[in-house]
Amino acid sequence: MTEDNAVKEVERETGSGTDLWSVIIAPFIWAAHFLVCYVGAAIYCQKLGRDADLGDIRLLVLGATAVALVGIGASTFRLWRVRGRSLTDNDFEYEHDTPEERHRFLSHVALMLCVLSAVAVIYVTIPMLYLSSCR
Amino acid sequence: MTDRQAEEQQLAAVWESPKGWRYWSDVNNTVVGLWYTATAFAFMLFGGVLALIIRTQLAVPENTLVEAETYNQVFTLHGTVMMFLFAVPIFEAVAILILPGMLGARDLPFPRLSAFGYWCFLIGGVFVCGSIFFNSAPDAGWFMYPPLSTEQSGIGADIWLLGLSFIEVASIAAAVELIVGVLKCRAPGMHINLTPLYGWYVLVVGGMILFAFPPLIAGDLLFELERLLDWPFFDVTRGGDPILWQHLFWIFGHPEVYIIFLPAIALLAMIVPTFAQRPIAGYSWIVLSALGTGFLSFGLWVHHMFTTGLPSISLGFFSAASEAVAIPTGIQIFAFISTVMLGSVVRSVPMLFCLGALAIFVLGGLTGVMVAVAPFDFQVHDSYFIVAHLHYTLIGGMLFPVMAGIVYYYPMVRGKTLSRKLGIWSFWLMFAGFNISFLPMHLTGMLGMPRRVFTYGAERGWSELNLLSTVGAFVFAAGFLILVWDCVRPRRQEPDAPRNVWKAGTLEWAARFGDNYGLRSIPHIDSRYPLWDDKDFTRKLDAGEGLLASAEEGKRETLVTSVLDAKPIQILRVAKPGWLPMIAAIGLGAVFIFMTFKWWIPTALGFALFLWATLRWLWTGTAEIPEKESKDAGGGLMLPLYVSGVRSSGWWAMFITMTGDFTAFLALLFGYFFFWTIHPDFPPPGVTGPGWVWPVMAGMAVMLSWGLTFASRLVNAAGHPGQARFLLVAGGIAALVACLAVLAGPWTSGLDPTTHSYPAIVWTLAIWVVAHLATGVLMQGYCFARSLHGKMTPRYDADIWNVTLYWHFAAIMGVVTCLVIGFFPMLT
Repeated sequence: MTEDNAVKEVERETGSGTDLWSVIIAPFIWAAHFLVCYVGAAIYCQKLGRDADLGDIRLLVLGATAVALVGIGASTFRLWRVRGRSLTDNDFEYEHDTPEERHRFLSHVALMLCVLSAVAVIYVTIPMLYLSSCR
Repeated sequence: MTDRQAEEQQLAAVWESPKGWRYWSDVNNTVVGLWYTATAFAFMLFGGVLALIIRTQLAVPENTLVEAETYNQVFTLHGTVMMFLFAVPIFEAVAILILPGMLGARDLPFPRLSAFGYWCFLIGGVFVCGSIFFNSAPDAGWFMYPPLSTEQSGIGADIWLLGLSFIEVASIAAAVELIVGVLKCRAPGMHINLTPLYGWYVLVVGGMILFAFPPLIAGDLLFELERLLDWPFFDVTRGGDPILWQHLFWIFGHPEVYIIFLPAIALLAMIVPTFAQRPIAGYSWIVLSALGTGFLSFGLWVHHMFTTGLPSISLGFFSAASEAVAIPTGIQIFAFISTVMLGSVVRSVPMLFCLGALAIFVLGGLTGVMVAVAPFDFQVHDSYFIVAHLHYTLIGGMLFPVMAGIVYYYPMVRGKTLSRKLGIWSFWLMFAGFNISFLPMHLTGMLGMPRRVFTYGAERGWSELNLLSTVGAFVFAAGFLILVWDCVRPRRQEPDAPRNVWKAGTLEWAARFGDNYGLRSIPHIDSRYPLWDDKDFTRKLDAGEGLLASAEEGKRETLVTSVLDAKPIQILRVAKPGWLPMIAAIGLGAVFIFMTFKWWIPTALGFALFLWATLRWLWTGTAEIPEKESKDAGGGLMLPLYVSGVRSSGWWAMFITMTGDFTAFLALLFGYFFFWTIHPDFPPPGVTGPGWVWPVMAGMAVMLSWGLTFASRLVNAAGHPGQARFLLVAGGIAALVACLAVLAGPWTSGLDPTTHSYPAIVWTLAIWVVAHLATGVLMQGYCFARSLHGKMTPRYDADIWNVTLYWHFAAIMGVVTCLVIGFFPMLT
């Protein structure tokens, strides 16, 4: 890394705090949402029979989706700020040899995982919108 | 002789492989990795022969080459061998072989564990494969669905079950080893954003193994309890349900597909940049896709169960997740393609296999998106369409990348290059043969041919397509054999491959061939492709300017660094060759094998051998008190030789192992609640056990034992080893009391596990807890003995840290079990 780049690196200090655990927050939210939806619906349909209307459980799933999206959104918001401050030189490679770069890299991965997780949460919710019974 | 030469001789002497028959006691990653890879390929050839028998039998209608019963054994064993003895182990094998070099480590942190895993794999694999020669191979399909598998008479199902449980032990051992390796053994300066992509994939896959394999182990436990003791988990007439097995199997089985696929595609991430002569495009996107796939792959398992009659809303969730996983999978494919497009590609055999892999895998992925749609799946379920789909994904996603990897890494491992001409022949025969064989199967399946039938009538109209598939299979096999021949043929006369023969940029190519110790010295890394970015890199390396350039104490040493930024934190002394891993594997193998035949005395002897070998292994060479506090790693960098607690690799290994173990516990708990959901009355009417009194007492005793162990650690650290020993003894007594109390609940209330699934699952949970408490007592006793012999002191206390960590998990399992079996019946 040239000296010039090293100076820039310090100038665009974006903080720290994104470690491996926080990278997987969004997919973890997806997993929790998925389990709530599946387990909730499976128990509901098993206990109420195949003719039961999905009414109540639909509310649970939609509520869980709202909570999940808010959670992913909050995570995204924090990471978006890191992103905004880190794009001063159009550098998407994240290959410099500093803790700062490592933090920006993990934040970038986490940000993209937020997008993926949000898409997956919405995907999983869709069947609940057009199915009406436990059949 | 100069100092440098003397250092090199020290290193060579310390890391030298044992000679003669002692060679088999070696534990170094380069040697064990080679055995592992060769053994996995040997099993693959065996599975391939079975495949050819299948194809020959199906070549013409009404064929009589093999009987229906033999055919069942052949296809079951084909699937089993390819999945459990090739696809998963080849990941472990290749990772053990090449990962340390990539990270700049001298070895993985637990070499004896790798060797133990290897011997488990070998013994279990030979046992499972050998069964077919005695006409007693498993014959209910590689996913062993009950009730077919539980109610048929032969011991094939037991062989499958116990043989594979044993091999799962090897997988989890490898996961522990590899996760700690990637996180803690990277060369200094190799920040997590500079880690080779292979390391990222290994990390993700290791994590997946911890959550995917344990449910199968739990399932195996239930399955074997039903086979051995007639506990009716899957028997509908006594409150069981075969669907539970399908859940537990596929919670393992679908992530397993990605456990196979990701590390193979990781090889592409190493190979493609080398031949495109440029860094990988979209490094962070590939990391995203590996992580995303790792997570989403756990939301897919029910798509194997679309036709079991689950509510359509359940199918909807899993169908949606199955579609979603195509997004991250697609991202990495695009990253590879763009790397190829942005670079200037060098034509080579590994690259041919890479491109072939992409072509085949994309087709398999597309049919995957098709079968993820439930109504389409209803039509093609259990037909040859599925056979075609799964072979496209596995051969495109695993076999071709692994072949690319074999050709690519052969010079690094064996010091010679493979023949280019034979490689090209091999590739085109395999590529053409594969497509000739499997492309028609899509049609055969659409025309209605079910999988696993041993023959078919000519009037069905499947004859031509089947004949074509058979021809393709033999062409494919010919291509494969050419490569195998090229790998094993004698090549003494051929010139040695030059160092870094492909002009790659990553660290594993910096080592000289034949140096068992890996790199001459451990360099400081400041880029993803150090060999490209620093022209002086190799010279500095060879001059011993990095860390750990010598081994003056005659110990095998490697560097431990911090997780995110790879700052050096410890010099880890790793084990030298020894027989204990092999003996432990033989003991454990004896347990599993003799249990199959219900020979209880040899089983007990095997267990005793296993226990003795494991304890001896731990006693000699783990947490050894070093002769000095710290040591100069080079350039005046003083690093400690002993650390305990959360900074030590042993603590992380325990944490990772127990995470896997806890997942297995959750799978059993899932079984309990599964039975609750399917029964209107749970517990069944008239059953009162186990009551709440005994579970409450058991839970309290568990907490007491946990507290005493924890207190023992603190008291020991405060400088009172005598009091710490007393607390350990008290903790052991409390744990034994807890064992009795846990069993007293179901025992005194007369729960008979053979009558219904409810008492059976309660007993299973109780036994699970007792087994863990008993292991905990053993560990407390171990710490007591270590302390008494001065091997564990207030300063050097890694043992009790790790045992306390074990007890955190054991206590949670104990208390949760007591609460569930004691109080849940009151809520229903």
